[in-house]
Amino acid sequence: MPAMTVSGHRYELDRHGVQAVLEGVLPEPIHEHFVVINGRRWPPKQVLALVTGLDRADFTTHQARRALTRLGFPAARAASSREHRMRAVQAAGPSGSAAGEPDGEPQTLVEALRPFIGLWVAVRGDEVLVAAPSPKDVVAWLAQHGQRAQSMFRVPDSDQAITGAAPQ
Amino acid sequence: MRFPFRALPAASGGELTPRPVVDIALEGLLAAPMECLLDTGALRTRMSAELAPLAGIELDDAPAEEFFVAGLKTAGALARVNLTVTDGTEEFSWDAPVWFCDPWPHPFGLAGLEGFLHHFVVTIRAHDGYLDIEPQP
Repeated sequence: MPAMTVSGHRYELDRHGVQAVLEGVLPEPIHEHFVVINGRRWPPKQVLALVTGLDRADFTTHQARRALTRLGFPAARAASSREHRMRAVQAAGPSGSAAGEPDGEPQTLVEALRPFIGLWVAVRGDEVLVAAPSPKDVVAWLAQHGQRAQSMFRVPDSDQAITGAAPQ
Repeated sequence: MRFPFRALPAASGGELTPRPVVDIALEGLLAAPMECLLDTGALRTRMSAELAPLAGIELDDAPAEEFFVAGLKTAGALARVNLTVTDGTEEFSWDAPVWFCDPWPHPFGLAGLEGFLHHFVVTIRAHDGYLDIEPQP
């Protein structure tokens, strides 16, 4: 179990412990940096504050990011809103979706949505703002964080759900 | 206003064929426009009844009807609401009848003749993967 010092306090953290702490928590909005845990993007400071109990003012984003990447979680920087819009325009072809840059690799909205099959999501451009079990949870999250989505929907959990075929 | 067709992941792997959708915001719920499938064969515009209370829309005394959608018997309650679409640059709002349905089998709403298509000139360019809508005052 890796030991690390954050803001003068020594912690022993492991991947499973971090993943367990995040169960049932919704990620806050991504402003620039994020880490990927349990298939979701998280602000590094939110994660480190949750697992250590420290106040977020006690450490920087870069310290949080470094601590979490040491545990093996991938980290990246989100594309700006302007970059999202430009990609959306460029990608308005037969494939329909736009590219993003998680982990330095281009990512379509389809791939960004894949971890959230069966959940309600709010998206903006090719970015998933939030994923939750109900539209009520999604709307509450948007209100809490002052965010405005481009679209809200449930990611279909069966191909029939979107084709209009009768449920079995 | 132009809306690219939207692709979604298929639960069985790969991706579903991109569909013509428009994101329609209910009054009181402007922060979360609902994805609606453009349905040229539908008379009504329908959404999940879960959305009505989130938008502050009262359905207790609303006219209701029962019908089948995707093989599922459901009940819809009618409300006349203000709707808004935007492409990020332009914005258009109009009043329209919307049926809020419970249960609702689809992961999206359905934008039909009443409520949506009657208010726009719609050009679907499926080959190119987008649709254009031009508001009609």
